[in-house]
Amino acid sequence: MGSIATEIGSVYGRVYLYLLVAALIPGLALAGLTGCGQGSSGGAEGKEGGETLTILAASSLTYGFGELAGTFEEQNEGVEVKQSFGASSDMLAQIQQGAPADVFASAAQEEMNTAVKDDLVAGKPEVFVKNREIVMVPKGNPAGIKEFRDVADHGVKLVLAQKDVPAADYAIEILGKANAEYGSTFKQDVLSNVVSREADVRASVNRVVVGDADATFGYASDYTPDIRNKVKIVPIPPELNIIATYPIAALEDAKYPGLAKKWVELVTSKEGQRVLEKWNFEPAA
Amino acid sequence: MKRRDKDGLSPRFPHGSDTLASGLAVAALALLVGFVSLPLLSLVVWTVDKGAWRAMASPVAVDALLLSVRTTAITMAMLLLVGTPAAYVLARADFRGSRVINALIDIPVVLPPSAAGIALLLAFGRLGLVGQYLNVFGVTLSFTTAAVVMAEVFVAAPFYIRQAATGFSAVDRTVEEAALVDGASRSTVFFKVTVPLAFPALVAGALTAWARALGEFGATVIFAGSFRGVTQTIPLAIFAEFQRDLDAAVALSVLVLGFAFTVILAVRHLTARTTGHRA
Repeated sequence: MGSIATEIGSVYGRVYLYLLVAALIPGLALAGLTGCGQGSSGGAEGKEGGETLTILAASSLTYGFGELAGTFEEQNEGVEVKQSFGASSDMLAQIQQGAPADVFASAAQEEMNTAVKDDLVAGKPEVFVKNREIVMVPKGNPAGIKEFRDVADHGVKLVLAQKDVPAADYAIEILGKANAEYGSTFKQDVLSNVVSREADVRASVNRVVVGDADATFGYASDYTPDIRNKVKIVPIPPELNIIATYPIAALEDAKYPGLAKKWVELVTSKEGQRVLEKWNFEPAA
Repeated sequence: MKRRDKDGLSPRFPHGSDTLASGLAVAALALLVGFVSLPLLSLVVWTVDKGAWRAMASPVAVDALLLSVRTTAITMAMLLLVGTPAAYVLARADFRGSRVINALIDIPVVLPPSAAGIALLLAFGRLGLVGQYLNVFGVTLSFTTAAVVMAEVFVAAPFYIRQAATGFSAVDRTVEEAALVDGASRSTVFFKVTVPLAFPALVAGALTAWARALGEFGATVIFAGSFRGVTQTIPLAIFAEFQRDLDAAVALSVLVLGFAFTVILAVRHLTARTTGHRA
Protein backbone atom coordinates (compact mmCIF):
# COMPACT_ATOMS: atom_id res chain seq x y z
CA MET A 1 0.00 0.00 0.00
CA GLY A 2 2.83 2.32 0.88
CA SER A 3 4.30 2.11 -2.58
CA ILE A 4 0.94 2.90 -4.15
CA ALA A 5 0.62 5.95 -1.96
CA THR A 6 4.05 7.14 -3.05
CA GLU A 7 3.12 6.50 -6.66
CA ILE A 8 0.07 8.65 -6.27
CA GLY A 9 2.08 11.19 -4.37
CA SER A 10 4.67 11.30 -7.13
CA VAL A 11 4.87 14.25 -9.44
CA TYR A 12 2.88 12.46 -12.12
CA GLY A 13 0.08 11.68 -9.76
CA ARG A 14 -0.14 15.26 -8.66
CA VAL A 15 0.18 16.65 -12.17
CA TYR A 16 -2.53 14.35 -13.41
CA LEU A 17 -4.76 15.36 -10.56
CA TYR A 18 -4.21 19.05 -11.18
CA LEU A 19 -4.53 18.67 -14.93
CA LEU A 20 -7.67 16.68 -14.48
CA VAL A 21 -9.23 19.34 -12.29
CA ALA A 22 -7.83 22.15 -14.43
CA ALA A 23 -9.06 20.53 -17.63
CA LEU A 24 -12.39 19.41 -16.28
CA ILE A 25 -13.76 22.81 -15.37
CA PRO A 26 -13.06 24.70 -18.62
CA GLY A 27 -13.68 21.44 -20.48
CA LEU A 28 -17.17 21.20 -19.11
CA ALA A 29 -17.74 24.87 -19.74
CA LEU A 30 -16.50 24.46 -23.30
CA ALA A 31 -18.67 21.41 -23.84
CA GLY A 32 -21.62 23.50 -22.73
CA LEU A 33 -20.64 26.37 -25.01
CA THR A 34 -20.00 24.31 -28.11
CA GLY A 35 -23.23 22.51 -27.41
CA CYS A 36 -25.02 25.86 -27.56
CA GLY A 37 -22.93 26.96 -30.51
CA GLN A 38 -23.77 23.88 -32.49
CA GLY A 39 -27.39 24.32 -31.68
CA SER A 40 -27.57 27.88 -32.91
CA SER A 41 -25.42 27.39 -36.01
CA GLY A 42 -27.39 24.29 -36.84
CA GLY A 43 -30.50 26.39 -36.74
CA ALA A 44 -29.01 29.12 -38.89
CA GLU A 45 -27.68 26.76 -41.50
CA GLY A 46 -30.67 26.76 -43.73
CA LYS A 47 -31.24 30.49 -43.50
CA GLU A 48 -29.51 33.20 -45.43
CA GLY A 49 -26.44 34.42 -43.57
CA GLY A 50 -24.83 32.38 -40.83
CA GLU A 51 -21.71 32.75 -42.93
CA THR A 52 -18.26 33.45 -41.60
CA LEU A 53 -15.84 35.59 -43.53
CA THR A 54 -12.28 34.63 -42.59
CA ILE A 55 -9.55 37.21 -43.03
CA LEU A 56 -5.83 36.72 -42.56
CA ALA A 57 -4.11 40.07 -42.22
CA ALA A 58 -0.86 41.76 -41.26
CA SER A 59 -0.78 42.47 -37.54
CA SER A 60 -0.53 46.23 -38.15
CA LEU A 61 -4.12 46.05 -39.42
CA THR A 62 -5.43 44.69 -36.11
CA TYR A 63 -7.28 47.84 -35.04
CA GLY A 64 -8.30 49.22 -38.42
CA PHE A 65 -9.72 45.91 -39.62
CA GLY A 66 -11.17 45.30 -36.20
CA GLU A 67 -13.29 48.42 -36.56
CA LEU A 68 -14.20 47.63 -40.17
CA ALA A 69 -15.33 44.16 -39.14
CA GLY A 70 -18.06 45.79 -37.06
CA THR A 71 -19.13 47.90 -40.04
CA PHE A 72 -19.14 44.85 -42.30
CA GLU A 73 -21.24 42.81 -39.91
CA GLU A 74 -23.73 45.66 -39.69
CA GLN A 75 -23.94 45.94 -43.46
CA ASN A 76 -24.26 42.18 -43.99
CA GLU A 77 -26.68 40.79 -41.53
CA GLY A 78 -25.94 37.33 -40.19
CA VAL A 79 -22.37 37.41 -41.40
CA GLU A 80 -19.61 36.97 -38.89
CA VAL A 81 -16.13 38.31 -39.59
CA LYS A 82 -13.33 36.18 -38.20
CA GLN A 83 -9.88 37.70 -38.38
CA SER A 84 -6.44 36.41 -37.61
CA PHE A 85 -3.54 38.83 -37.40
CA GLY A 86 0.15 38.11 -37.51
CA ALA A 87 3.29 38.73 -39.49
CA SER A 88 2.40 38.83 -43.20
CA SER A 89 5.02 36.14 -43.77
CA ASP A 90 3.30 33.98 -41.17
CA MET A 91 -0.14 34.56 -42.65
CA LEU A 92 1.21 33.66 -46.10
CA ALA A 93 2.68 30.46 -44.67
CA GLN A 94 -0.70 29.57 -43.22
CA ILE A 95 -2.41 30.13 -46.57
CA GLN A 96 0.25 28.07 -48.33
CA GLN A 97 -0.44 25.27 -45.89
CA GLY A 98 -4.11 25.38 -46.72
CA ALA A 99 -5.56 27.37 -43.84
CA PRO A 100 -9.22 28.04 -44.68
CA ALA A 101 -9.46 31.77 -45.40
CA ASP A 102 -11.29 34.13 -47.73
CA VAL A 103 -9.13 37.26 -47.76
CA PHE A 104 -5.42 37.98 -47.39
CA ALA A 105 -4.17 41.48 -46.55
CA SER A 106 -0.40 41.81 -46.52
CA ALA A 107 1.88 44.56 -45.23
CA ALA A 108 4.20 44.09 -48.17
CA GLN A 109 4.06 43.35 -51.88
CA GLU A 110 6.50 40.49 -51.53
CA GLU A 111 4.18 38.16 -49.61
CA MET A 112 1.29 38.98 -51.93
CA ASN A 113 3.47 38.36 -54.98
CA THR A 114 4.34 34.94 -53.62
CA ALA A 115 0.66 34.24 -53.02
CA VAL A 116 -0.13 35.24 -56.61
CA LYS A 117 2.72 33.14 -57.94
CA ASP A 118 1.48 30.12 -55.98
CA ASP A 119 -2.01 30.59 -57.48
CA LEU A 120 -3.52 31.19 -54.07
CA VAL A 121 -5.19 34.48 -55.01
CA ALA A 122 -8.38 35.05 -56.96
CA GLY A 123 -8.14 37.99 -59.34
CA LYS A 124 -5.67 40.81 -58.96
CA PRO A 125 -4.49 42.16 -55.60
CA GLU A 126 -5.26 45.80 -54.87
CA VAL A 127 -3.14 48.22 -52.89
CA PHE A 128 -5.50 49.66 -50.27
CA VAL A 129 -3.33 51.67 -47.85
CA LYS A 130 0.16 52.91 -47.26
CA ASN A 131 2.07 52.99 -44.03
CA ARG A 132 5.36 54.53 -43.03
CA GLU A 133 7.97 53.27 -40.62
CA ILE A 134 8.65 55.03 -37.34
CA VAL A 135 10.91 54.41 -34.39
CA MET A 136 9.15 53.96 -31.07
CA VAL A 137 10.77 54.51 -27.68
CA PRO A 138 9.36 54.18 -24.15
CA LYS A 139 7.91 57.41 -22.77
CA GLY A 140 10.79 57.65 -20.28
CA ASN A 141 13.22 57.22 -23.20
CA PRO A 142 15.91 55.45 -21.12
CA ALA A 143 18.43 55.44 -23.97
CA GLY A 144 17.93 59.13 -24.72
CA ILE A 145 16.99 58.72 -28.37
CA LYS A 146 16.16 62.22 -29.60
CA GLU A 147 16.48 61.72 -33.31
CA PHE A 148 16.61 58.81 -35.69
CA ARG A 149 20.40 58.56 -35.87
CA ASP A 150 20.58 57.99 -32.09
CA VAL A 151 19.38 54.39 -32.52
CA ALA A 152 22.98 53.62 -33.49
CA ASP A 153 24.27 54.83 -30.10
CA HIS A 154 26.24 52.23 -28.23
CA GLY A 155 24.17 50.28 -25.71
CA VAL A 156 20.71 51.01 -27.10
CA LYS A 157 18.54 47.92 -26.61
CA LEU A 158 16.84 47.65 -29.97
CA VAL A 159 14.16 45.09 -30.76
CA LEU A 160 13.17 44.13 -34.29
CA ALA A 161 10.56 41.81 -35.72
CA GLN A 162 12.17 38.68 -37.07
CA LYS A 163 13.62 38.26 -40.51
CA ASP A 164 11.11 38.19 -43.39
CA VAL A 165 8.54 40.17 -41.40
CA PRO A 166 7.95 43.20 -43.67
CA ALA A 167 8.34 45.79 -40.89
CA ALA A 168 11.80 44.42 -40.10
CA ASP A 169 12.82 44.09 -43.73
CA TYR A 170 11.80 47.71 -44.32
CA ALA A 171 13.84 48.73 -41.29
CA ILE A 172 16.92 47.04 -42.74
CA GLU A 173 16.27 48.78 -46.06
CA ILE A 174 16.01 52.14 -44.30
CA LEU A 175 19.26 51.50 -42.43
CA GLY A 176 20.94 50.72 -45.73
CA LYS A 177 19.78 54.02 -47.16
CA ALA A 178 20.88 55.82 -43.99
CA ASN A 179 24.45 54.60 -44.42
CA ALA A 180 24.93 57.20 -47.11
CA GLU A 181 23.72 59.91 -44.75
CA TYR A 182 25.19 58.94 -41.39
CA GLY A 183 28.36 57.08 -42.34
CA SER A 184 29.07 53.62 -43.64
CA THR A 185 28.97 51.85 -40.26
CA PHE A 186 25.53 53.20 -39.31
CA LYS A 187 23.55 50.12 -40.33
CA GLN A 188 26.08 47.81 -38.70
CA ASP A 189 26.04 49.85 -35.49
CA VAL A 190 22.26 49.75 -35.32
CA LEU A 191 22.11 46.01 -36.01
CA SER A 192 24.68 45.32 -33.30
CA ASN A 193 22.21 46.94 -30.89
CA VAL A 194 19.51 44.37 -31.63
CA VAL A 195 18.76 42.30 -28.52
CA SER A 196 15.76 40.35 -29.72
CA ARG A 197 13.89 39.39 -32.90
CA GLU A 198 10.18 39.11 -32.24
CA ALA A 199 7.53 37.10 -34.04
CA ASP A 200 5.77 40.17 -35.46
CA VAL A 201 5.61 43.97 -35.22
CA ARG A 202 3.07 44.11 -32.42
CA ALA A 203 5.29 41.89 -30.28
CA SER A 204 8.30 44.14 -30.89
CA VAL A 205 6.22 47.25 -30.12
CA ASN A 206 5.04 45.61 -26.90
CA ARG A 207 8.66 45.22 -25.84
CA VAL A 208 8.85 49.01 -25.86
CA VAL A 209 5.45 49.34 -24.19
CA VAL A 210 6.55 47.22 -21.20
CA GLY A 211 9.79 49.19 -21.14
CA ASP A 212 12.28 46.39 -21.66
CA ALA A 213 13.47 47.64 -25.02
CA ASP A 214 14.86 51.12 -25.68
CA ALA A 215 13.56 51.28 -29.22
CA THR A 216 11.89 49.38 -32.01
CA PHE A 217 10.94 49.92 -35.62
CA GLY A 218 7.23 49.82 -36.27
CA TYR A 219 4.60 51.33 -38.49
CA ALA A 220 2.92 54.66 -37.89
CA SER A 221 -0.27 52.61 -37.54
CA ASP A 222 1.22 50.79 -34.57
CA TYR A 223 1.10 54.00 -32.55
CA THR A 224 -2.38 53.08 -31.34
CA PRO A 225 -4.36 55.02 -28.71
CA ASP A 226 -3.95 52.32 -26.07
CA ILE A 227 -0.16 52.75 -26.00
CA ARG A 228 0.15 56.50 -26.53
CA ASN A 229 0.72 57.18 -22.85
CA LYS A 230 3.53 54.64 -22.75
CA VAL A 231 5.54 55.24 -25.91
CA LYS A 232 6.90 58.13 -27.96
CA ILE A 233 7.53 58.38 -31.67
CA VAL A 234 10.91 59.25 -33.11
CA PRO A 235 10.27 60.03 -36.77
CA ILE A 236 12.48 58.67 -39.51
CA PRO A 237 13.58 61.41 -41.95
CA PRO A 238 11.26 61.22 -44.98
CA GLU A 239 14.13 60.98 -47.46
CA LEU A 240 15.27 57.78 -45.74
CA ASN A 241 11.86 56.37 -44.96
CA ILE A 242 10.13 53.66 -46.87
CA ILE A 243 6.47 53.74 -47.67
CA ALA A 244 4.95 50.31 -47.21
CA THR A 245 2.13 49.50 -49.60
CA TYR A 246 -0.52 47.07 -48.40
CA PRO A 247 -2.10 44.79 -50.99
CA ILE A 248 -5.33 42.92 -50.37
CA ALA A 249 -6.91 40.08 -52.32
CA ALA A 250 -9.66 37.49 -52.17
CA LEU A 251 -8.27 33.98 -52.03
CA GLU A 252 -8.68 31.28 -54.66
CA ASP A 253 -9.96 28.76 -52.12
CA ALA A 254 -12.33 31.21 -50.45
CA LYS A 255 -15.42 29.56 -49.04
CA TYR A 256 -17.35 32.82 -49.50
CA PRO A 257 -15.93 34.53 -52.59
CA GLY A 258 -18.85 36.96 -52.67
CA LEU A 259 -18.25 38.13 -49.13
CA ALA A 260 -14.51 38.29 -49.78
CA LYS A 261 -15.14 40.64 -52.71
CA LYS A 262 -17.47 42.74 -50.58
CA TRP A 263 -14.80 43.03 -47.89
CA VAL A 264 -12.20 44.23 -50.39
CA GLU A 265 -14.78 46.74 -51.66
CA LEU A 266 -15.44 48.00 -48.14
CA VAL A 267 -11.75 48.36 -47.37
CA THR A 268 -11.10 50.35 -50.56
CA SER A 269 -14.29 52.42 -50.25
CA LYS A 270 -14.35 55.99 -48.94
CA GLU A 271 -15.65 54.76 -45.63
CA GLY A 272 -13.04 52.06 -45.29
CA GLN A 273 -10.27 54.48 -46.15
CA ARG A 274 -11.59 56.98 -43.58
CA VAL A 275 -11.50 54.32 -40.85
CA LEU A 276 -7.99 53.20 -41.78
CA GLU A 277 -6.77 56.80 -41.88
CA LYS A 278 -8.04 57.15 -38.36
CA TRP A 279 -5.63 54.37 -37.40
CA ASN A 280 -2.68 56.28 -38.90
CA PHE A 281 -2.64 54.66 -42.31
CA GLU A 282 -2.26 56.75 -45.43
CA PRO A 283 -4.74 56.40 -48.28
CA ALA A 284 -3.56 54.31 -51.18
CA ALA A 285 -4.28 56.88 -53.85
CA MET B 1 2.39 -3.92 -7.99
CA LYS B 2 1.40 -5.56 -11.23
CA ARG B 3 1.00 -8.90 -9.51
CA ARG B 4 -1.01 -7.45 -6.73
CA ASP B 5 -3.45 -5.91 -9.20
CA LYS B 6 -3.83 -9.16 -11.03
CA ASP B 7 -4.31 -11.17 -7.89
CA GLY B 8 -6.86 -8.69 -6.67
CA LEU B 9 -8.84 -8.54 -9.90
CA SER B 10 -8.89 -12.00 -11.42
CA PRO B 11 -11.30 -13.67 -9.00
CA ARG B 12 -13.94 -11.07 -9.77
CA PHE B 13 -13.81 -11.47 -13.55
CA PRO B 14 -14.67 -14.63 -15.43
CA HIS B 15 -12.05 -15.82 -17.91
CA GLY B 16 -13.70 -14.55 -21.11
CA SER B 17 -13.89 -10.94 -20.07
CA ASP B 18 -10.36 -11.22 -18.71
CA THR B 19 -9.09 -12.06 -22.19
CA LEU B 20 -11.18 -9.25 -23.64
CA ALA B 21 -9.82 -6.81 -21.09
CA SER B 22 -6.20 -7.69 -21.78
CA GLY B 23 -6.90 -7.57 -25.52
CA LEU B 24 -8.28 -4.06 -25.14
CA ALA B 25 -5.33 -3.05 -23.00
CA VAL B 26 -2.89 -4.29 -25.64
CA ALA B 27 -4.86 -2.48 -28.34
CA ALA B 28 -4.71 0.69 -26.27
CA LEU B 29 -0.97 0.34 -25.99
CA ALA B 30 -0.63 -0.23 -29.73
CA LEU B 31 -2.76 2.85 -30.40
CA LEU B 32 -0.56 4.91 -28.11
CA VAL B 33 2.66 3.62 -29.63
CA GLY B 34 1.40 4.45 -33.11
CA PHE B 35 0.20 7.87 -32.08
CA VAL B 36 3.56 8.76 -30.59
CA SER B 37 5.83 7.14 -33.14
CA LEU B 38 4.11 8.27 -36.35
CA PRO B 39 4.80 12.01 -35.89
CA LEU B 40 8.39 11.24 -34.90
CA LEU B 41 8.76 9.01 -37.93
CA SER B 42 7.33 11.77 -40.14
CA LEU B 43 10.02 14.14 -38.93
CA VAL B 44 12.75 11.72 -39.93
CA VAL B 45 11.09 10.79 -43.23
CA TRP B 46 10.75 14.47 -44.21
CA THR B 47 14.36 15.14 -43.27
CA VAL B 48 15.65 12.26 -45.39
CA ASP B 49 13.25 12.98 -48.23
CA LYS B 50 13.98 16.69 -48.56
CA GLY B 51 17.64 16.40 -47.68
CA ALA B 52 17.07 18.74 -44.75
CA TRP B 53 20.19 17.37 -43.04
CA ARG B 54 22.20 20.34 -44.22
CA ALA B 55 20.08 22.71 -42.14
CA MET B 56 21.31 20.92 -39.01
CA ALA B 57 24.78 22.33 -39.56
CA SER B 58 23.47 25.85 -40.21
CA PRO B 59 24.71 28.56 -37.82
CA VAL B 60 21.16 29.02 -36.50
CA ALA B 61 20.88 25.33 -35.60
CA VAL B 62 24.37 25.07 -34.12
CA ASP B 63 23.94 28.23 -32.03
CA ALA B 64 20.53 27.11 -30.83
CA LEU B 65 21.75 23.66 -29.86
CA LEU B 66 24.78 25.02 -28.01
CA LEU B 67 22.59 27.55 -26.20
CA SER B 68 20.10 24.85 -25.24
CA VAL B 69 22.92 22.64 -23.95
CA ARG B 70 24.39 25.52 -21.97
CA THR B 71 21.18 26.86 -20.47
CA THR B 72 19.72 23.46 -19.55
CA ALA B 73 23.05 22.48 -17.97
CA ILE B 74 23.06 25.62 -15.82
CA THR B 75 19.38 25.10 -15.03
CA MET B 76 20.03 21.55 -13.87
CA ALA B 77 23.07 22.55 -11.83
CA MET B 78 20.98 25.18 -10.06
CA LEU B 79 18.05 22.80 -9.59
CA LEU B 80 20.25 20.08 -8.10
CA LEU B 81 22.05 22.55 -5.89
CA VAL B 82 19.01 24.38 -4.56
CA GLY B 83 16.24 21.89 -5.29
CA THR B 84 17.76 18.89 -3.53
CA PRO B 85 18.01 20.42 -0.04
CA ALA B 86 14.69 22.20 -0.58
CA ALA B 87 13.04 18.90 -1.49
CA TYR B 88 14.57 17.30 1.59
CA VAL B 89 13.09 19.98 3.82
CA LEU B 90 9.71 19.54 2.15
CA ALA B 91 9.88 15.79 2.68
CA ARG B 92 11.11 15.83 6.25
CA ALA B 93 9.92 18.96 8.00
CA ASP B 94 6.28 19.17 8.91
CA PHE B 95 5.99 22.87 9.52
CA ARG B 96 3.14 25.29 9.52
CA GLY B 97 2.36 26.38 5.97
CA SER B 98 4.11 23.43 4.38
CA ARG B 99 0.91 22.60 2.51
CA VAL B 100 0.74 26.08 1.06
CA ILE B 101 4.40 25.92 0.04
CA ASN B 102 3.84 22.51 -1.52
CA ALA B 103 0.98 23.84 -3.58
CA LEU B 104 2.95 26.96 -4.53
CA ILE B 105 5.88 24.91 -5.79
CA ASP B 106 3.53 22.90 -8.00
CA ILE B 107 1.89 25.92 -9.61
CA PRO B 108 4.37 26.28 -12.51
CA VAL B 109 3.36 22.77 -13.58
CA VAL B 110 -0.20 23.81 -14.28
CA LEU B 111 0.53 27.38 -15.33
CA PRO B 112 0.75 27.71 -19.11
CA PRO B 113 4.39 28.61 -19.87
CA SER B 114 3.30 31.75 -21.72
CA ALA B 115 1.57 32.93 -18.54
CA ALA B 116 4.77 32.12 -16.65
CA GLY B 117 6.65 34.27 -19.17
CA ILE B 118 4.35 37.23 -18.61
CA ALA B 119 4.68 36.76 -14.86
CA LEU B 120 8.49 36.68 -15.08
CA LEU B 121 8.46 39.74 -17.35
CA LEU B 122 6.33 41.72 -14.91
CA ALA B 123 8.55 40.69 -12.02
CA PHE B 124 12.05 40.81 -13.51
CA GLY B 125 11.63 42.96 -16.63
CA ARG B 126 13.31 46.34 -16.64
CA LEU B 127 10.23 48.09 -15.23
CA GLY B 128 9.10 45.02 -13.30
CA LEU B 129 8.32 44.72 -9.62
CA VAL B 130 11.83 43.50 -8.82
CA GLY B 131 13.46 44.44 -12.11
CA GLN B 132 13.17 48.18 -11.54
CA TYR B 133 15.38 47.89 -8.46
CA LEU B 134 17.84 45.59 -10.20
CA ASN B 135 17.96 48.14 -13.01
CA VAL B 136 19.15 50.78 -10.55
CA PHE B 137 22.20 48.61 -9.92
CA GLY B 138 22.74 48.24 -13.63
CA VAL B 139 21.38 44.70 -13.79
CA THR B 140 18.96 44.08 -16.63
CA LEU B 141 17.79 40.54 -17.16
CA SER B 142 15.52 40.84 -20.18
CA PHE B 143 17.10 39.66 -23.44
CA THR B 144 19.95 37.88 -21.63
CA THR B 145 20.88 34.22 -21.38
CA ALA B 146 20.27 34.57 -17.65
CA ALA B 147 16.62 35.23 -18.43
CA VAL B 148 16.48 31.98 -20.42
CA VAL B 149 17.85 30.08 -17.43
CA MET B 150 15.35 31.78 -15.12
CA ALA B 151 12.48 30.77 -17.38
CA GLU B 152 13.75 27.19 -17.51
CA VAL B 153 14.25 26.97 -13.76
CA PHE B 154 10.79 28.40 -13.17
CA VAL B 155 8.98 25.83 -15.29
CA ALA B 156 11.24 22.82 -14.60
CA ALA B 157 11.82 23.14 -10.84
CA PRO B 158 8.57 21.51 -9.65
CA PHE B 159 9.23 18.39 -11.73
CA TYR B 160 12.52 17.78 -9.92
CA ILE B 161 11.54 18.98 -6.46
CA ARG B 162 8.33 16.98 -6.33
CA GLN B 163 9.96 13.73 -7.36
CA ALA B 164 12.99 14.33 -5.13
CA ALA B 165 10.74 15.05 -2.14
CA THR B 166 8.79 11.86 -2.81
CA GLY B 167 12.08 9.96 -3.00
CA PHE B 168 13.33 11.47 0.25
CA SER B 169 10.13 10.73 2.13
CA ALA B 170 10.39 7.09 1.05
CA VAL B 171 13.79 6.83 2.78
CA ASP B 172 13.35 5.05 6.08
CA ARG B 173 14.08 7.43 8.92
CA THR B 174 15.41 4.68 11.16
CA VAL B 175 18.27 4.11 8.72
CA GLU B 176 19.22 7.77 8.96
CA GLU B 177 18.89 7.70 12.72
CA ALA B 178 21.05 4.60 13.00
CA ALA B 179 23.82 6.37 11.11
CA LEU B 180 23.47 9.37 13.41
CA VAL B 181 23.73 7.13 16.46
CA ASP B 182 26.89 5.65 14.97
CA GLY B 183 28.37 9.12 15.14
CA ALA B 184 27.97 10.35 11.57
CA SER B 185 27.27 14.05 11.16
CA ARG B 186 23.97 15.21 9.72
CA SER B 187 25.51 16.22 6.43
CA THR B 188 27.38 12.92 6.16
CA VAL B 189 24.14 11.05 6.72
CA PHE B 190 22.46 13.17 4.04
CA PHE B 191 25.15 12.58 1.43
CA LYS B 192 26.12 9.01 2.33
CA VAL B 193 22.75 7.56 3.32
CA THR B 194 19.75 9.63 2.28
CA VAL B 195 20.87 10.72 -1.18
CA PRO B 196 22.05 7.23 -2.27
CA LEU B 197 18.77 5.71 -1.08
CA ALA B 198 16.70 8.32 -2.86
CA PHE B 199 18.97 8.27 -5.91
CA PRO B 200 16.57 6.61 -8.38
CA ALA B 201 13.92 9.20 -7.61
CA LEU B 202 16.45 12.02 -7.91
CA VAL B 203 17.61 10.81 -11.31
CA ALA B 204 14.08 10.31 -12.57
CA GLY B 205 13.10 13.78 -11.34
CA ALA B 206 16.19 15.37 -12.84
CA LEU B 207 15.49 13.78 -16.22
CA THR B 208 11.89 14.96 -16.26
CA ALA B 209 12.97 18.45 -15.25
CA TRP B 210 15.72 18.51 -17.84
CA ALA B 211 13.33 17.43 -20.57
CA ARG B 212 10.92 20.15 -19.51
CA ALA B 213 13.70 22.76 -19.53
CA LEU B 214 14.87 21.64 -22.97
CA GLY B 215 11.37 22.00 -24.38
CA GLU B 216 10.74 25.35 -22.71
CA PHE B 217 9.30 27.79 -25.21
CA GLY B 218 6.53 30.09 -24.02
CA ALA B 219 8.15 31.57 -20.95
CA THR B 220 11.45 32.03 -22.76
CA VAL B 221 10.08 33.74 -25.85
CA ILE B 222 8.07 36.15 -23.73
CA PHE B 223 10.53 36.85 -20.93
CA ALA B 224 13.89 36.49 -22.65
CA GLY B 225 13.05 37.35 -26.25
CA SER B 226 14.61 35.63 -29.22
CA PHE B 227 18.12 36.32 -30.46
CA ARG B 228 20.53 33.92 -32.07
CA GLY B 229 23.21 32.70 -29.71
CA VAL B 230 21.88 34.64 -26.72
CA THR B 231 18.27 33.70 -26.07
CA GLN B 232 17.21 31.64 -29.08
CA THR B 233 17.14 28.08 -27.75
CA ILE B 234 16.13 25.18 -29.99
CA PRO B 235 12.37 25.49 -29.46
CA LEU B 236 12.54 29.21 -30.28
CA ALA B 237 14.69 28.54 -33.33
CA ILE B 238 12.16 25.94 -34.52
CA PHE B 239 9.35 28.47 -34.17
CA ALA B 240 11.32 31.21 -35.94
CA GLU B 241 12.36 28.88 -38.76
CA PHE B 242 8.84 27.56 -39.15
CA GLN B 243 7.83 31.01 -40.34
CA ARG B 244 10.63 31.15 -42.89
CA ASP B 245 11.93 27.76 -43.85
CA LEU B 246 10.02 24.58 -43.06
CA ASP B 247 12.97 22.32 -43.91
CA ALA B 248 15.14 24.06 -41.35
CA ALA B 249 12.38 23.80 -38.73
CA VAL B 250 12.09 20.07 -39.40
CA ALA B 251 15.85 19.60 -39.27
CA LEU B 252 16.01 21.40 -35.93
CA SER B 253 13.22 19.21 -34.58
CA VAL B 254 15.09 16.07 -35.59
CA LEU B 255 18.24 17.49 -34.08
CA VAL B 256 16.61 18.11 -30.71
CA LEU B 257 14.92 14.71 -30.88
CA GLY B 258 18.29 13.03 -31.36
CA PHE B 259 19.88 15.13 -28.65
CA ALA B 260 17.17 14.40 -26.09
CA PHE B 261 17.27 10.71 -26.95
CA THR B 262 21.05 10.58 -26.54
CA VAL B 263 20.98 12.32 -23.19
CA ILE B 264 18.20 10.16 -21.80
CA LEU B 265 19.91 6.95 -22.96
CA ALA B 266 23.23 8.12 -21.56
CA VAL B 267 21.78 9.01 -18.18
CA ARG B 268 19.93 5.70 -17.99
CA HIS B 269 23.02 3.80 -18.91
CA LEU B 270 25.21 5.67 -16.42
CA THR B 271 22.77 5.26 -13.58
CA ALA B 272 21.49 1.79 -14.44
CA ARG B 273 23.60 0.04 -11.82
CA THR B 274 22.52 2.23 -8.94
CA THR B 275 18.93 2.74 -9.91
CA GLY B 276 17.89 -0.60 -11.29
CA HIS B 277 14.94 -0.23 -13.61
CA ARG B 278 13.38 2.87 -12.20
CA ALA B 279 15.35 5.53 -14.03
